Amino acid sequence: MAEEYAINIDNVVKKFGDFTAVNGVSLKIKKGEIFGLLGPNGAGKSTTISMLLGLLTPTSGRIIINGTDMKNDPAEARTHIGVVTQETVVEPELTAEQNLMIFGRLYHIPKSEMEKSIEFALELSDLVQFRKVYAGTFSGGMKRRLEVSKSLMHTPDIILLDEPTTGLDVQNRTQIWNLLREINKKQGVTVLMTTQYLEEADQLCDRIGIIDHGKLIALGTPDELRKSIGLSSVIEVTADKEELQKVASIFKKVGLEPTVLNNRVTAPGGNNATKKIETLLSSLSTAKINVRNVSMHEPTIDDVFLKLTGSEARDTSGDYKGRAMVSRGR
Amino acid sequence: MGILEDSYTLFVREMLIFKKNIAMNAVRSTIFPLLFVLLLGSFGSAPKNVPIAIVNYASGPAALRFINSIQSGNGITVLTETTQQQAMALLSEGSVAGVVVIPSGFSSGYGSDSHVYVYLDNSQPQSAAVVAAQANLAAAQFGGSAVQDPPVSVITNYAYGASSNYLSFVIGGIIVMVASFGAVFSAGFTMISDRQLGNLKAFLTTPINNFSVLISKIAYGTFQSVFSAYVGLFIGLLYGATIAAGFVGLLELIWIILLVGLGFGSLAIALATRARDQQTYALIGQTLVLPLSFLGGAFVPANLLPNFLLPVVAVDPLTYAVNAVRDIMIKGFLPITTLISTSIILLVFAMIMAGIAYLSFRDTSKQI
Repeated sequence: MAEEYAINIDNVVKKFGDFTAVNGVSLKIKKGEIFGLLGPNGAGKSTTISMLLGLLTPTSGRIIINGTDMKNDPAEARTHIGVVTQETVVEPELTAEQNLMIFGRLYHIPKSEMEKSIEFALELSDLVQFRKVYAGTFSGGMKRRLEVSKSLMHTPDIILLDEPTTGLDVQNRTQIWNLLREINKKQGVTVLMTTQYLEEADQLCDRIGIIDHGKLIALGTPDELRKSIGLSSVIEVTADKEELQKVASIFKKVGLEPTVLNNRVTAPGGNNATKKIETLLSSLSTAKINVRNVSMHEPTIDDVFLKLTGSEARDTSGDYKGRAMVSRGR
Repeated sequence: MGILEDSYTLFVREMLIFKKNIAMNAVRSTIFPLLFVLLLGSFGSAPKNVPIAIVNYASGPAALRFINSIQSGNGITVLTETTQQQAMALLSEGSVAGVVVIPSGFSSGYGSDSHVYVYLDNSQPQSAAVVAAQANLAAAQFGGSAVQDPPVSVITNYAYGASSNYLSFVIGGIIVMVASFGAVFSAGFTMISDRQLGNLKAFLTTPINNFSVLISKIAYGTFQSVFSAYVGLFIGLLYGATIAAGFVGLLELIWIILLVGLGFGSLAIALATRARDQQTYALIGQTLVLPLSFLGGAFVPANLLPNFLLPVVAVDPLTYAVNAVRDIMIKGFLPITTLISTSIILLVFAMIMAGIAYLSFRDTSKQI
């Protein structure tokens, strides 16, 4: 029977003591799609990923990878998955080639195909001329590329990436995106990634799921999500911090509902957005507020994300709590 | 593709890293034993209450005076007075450090036998030196003008060849100590850094059996131990130590070092899977392994330790390893029964440690 879904997460719950990190998440990821899992820090993303990798066992619920139940045969399930973890785990004391060779063997690539697989990975990561160079001398982007290609060398059907582009510069980020698009298109590899960069999810992903407080709170294509929050346009004013409250009150005066975040005040434009922005501008100049930037744009995934998860910074309390529970549970 | 093949792959990884850092590894493995040889090789200590056996075939007052004299001070304790045959048996099993034989003609006046025969266990050179010194001191009190006894000469016999000194005594200890340290200060650290850097997580997400990670780490710890100990042995041999048991002795030595490495490699991994960071690990590792070497008799004969430590000495696997290594290097023979019992003790220790490592790895690998 051909399995329709690459990953089928069925009502999964994960508790650490009294703390529920993942609270009944169900998610079906189709074969061949690029799926982005978003969520604030401590929302349950990493716990979900860890369960997909078999590093954590769900308290209840099922995880089915390409038709194989993770619980019944984790080793078989893992052969279908390539993994790029949050930490860059290329071994600095080994060459690019040696790094690939070790993981090729751990992924049980037959000896006869090993050379071909290493070659494939080196080409994919654009590191052919660095094959004999110790990975410790690589730049952050090279290490990431090596790692991504390392997790693809056993030609998995699925690749899981936990924040693959965090800390990379724009060029390297784009290169990773291209790499992912390429393997997705050419080899039909299903991509499941988490990311903190929302525009990355917007550009790269076919579908996005937003997870918060251990629950899946939104799911759809980037367009669907934008539409779902009922915004046609967003008005945004950037100003000095001290003036933000004044700006917000002017927003209210002209009939906008302001949200203050960092050094910005945003509000949904609604109908007659152009008219409103004119009134807003003249009010701002009458009040002699030093405005740095005024813009009106289509809602982005940022706007969706903030609307759904709130604008409060989460810090890492969720992560910390989860970890504290783990150590207490020992 | 079995668990052993995966373990081998991970071991190959460790070896590639080892090979890359071979110079640093060699320096590290060299400095430690070299330092100890230099520091301790010329270091002699005077132990107290060294047990000896006295065989008194004479019955006159001169013999009793000699016995009193040799016991003066607190250097020597006479454990027993017995026949020569029994005394020599005690000497060879290490219960006494020396046997003093007073021949039957000793006290019958001028012209008769004025020799005292001293047999020393020079696999314990410090103790042997004390016995020899006390015997010579006692002998010197005879033949003076105040005493009418004849002058006494001490004829010293060494049980294991005359060349033994504190250096060859201590090198056996250093080899075993280095073997126990080697794993603790290498494989354990790589286990922790692999966990902290995320390598462990990456291994566990591949289709391998999780325990191949454990097996490869124990194998690497064993390798490091053996490597360090062989470097230590090499330095010792260069410095003048000898293996009295010859080529067979070398093979036995290699075997015993391997078993020590296996035990302490497992101990290192058992600790490292539990320790949260390298500092904690280093602290616990050091507090555990250093006393074990000392109590095992690496530098001071274990039978000279205070009584309350003797139970610890008895359960310390290094005690048996050190004794076996000294038998091989100094005495020149290791009875097959001792080889077997030592092997069993070290293997049981290794199995217990590997068991603990298994249990703690099973628990902690679920929380990555």
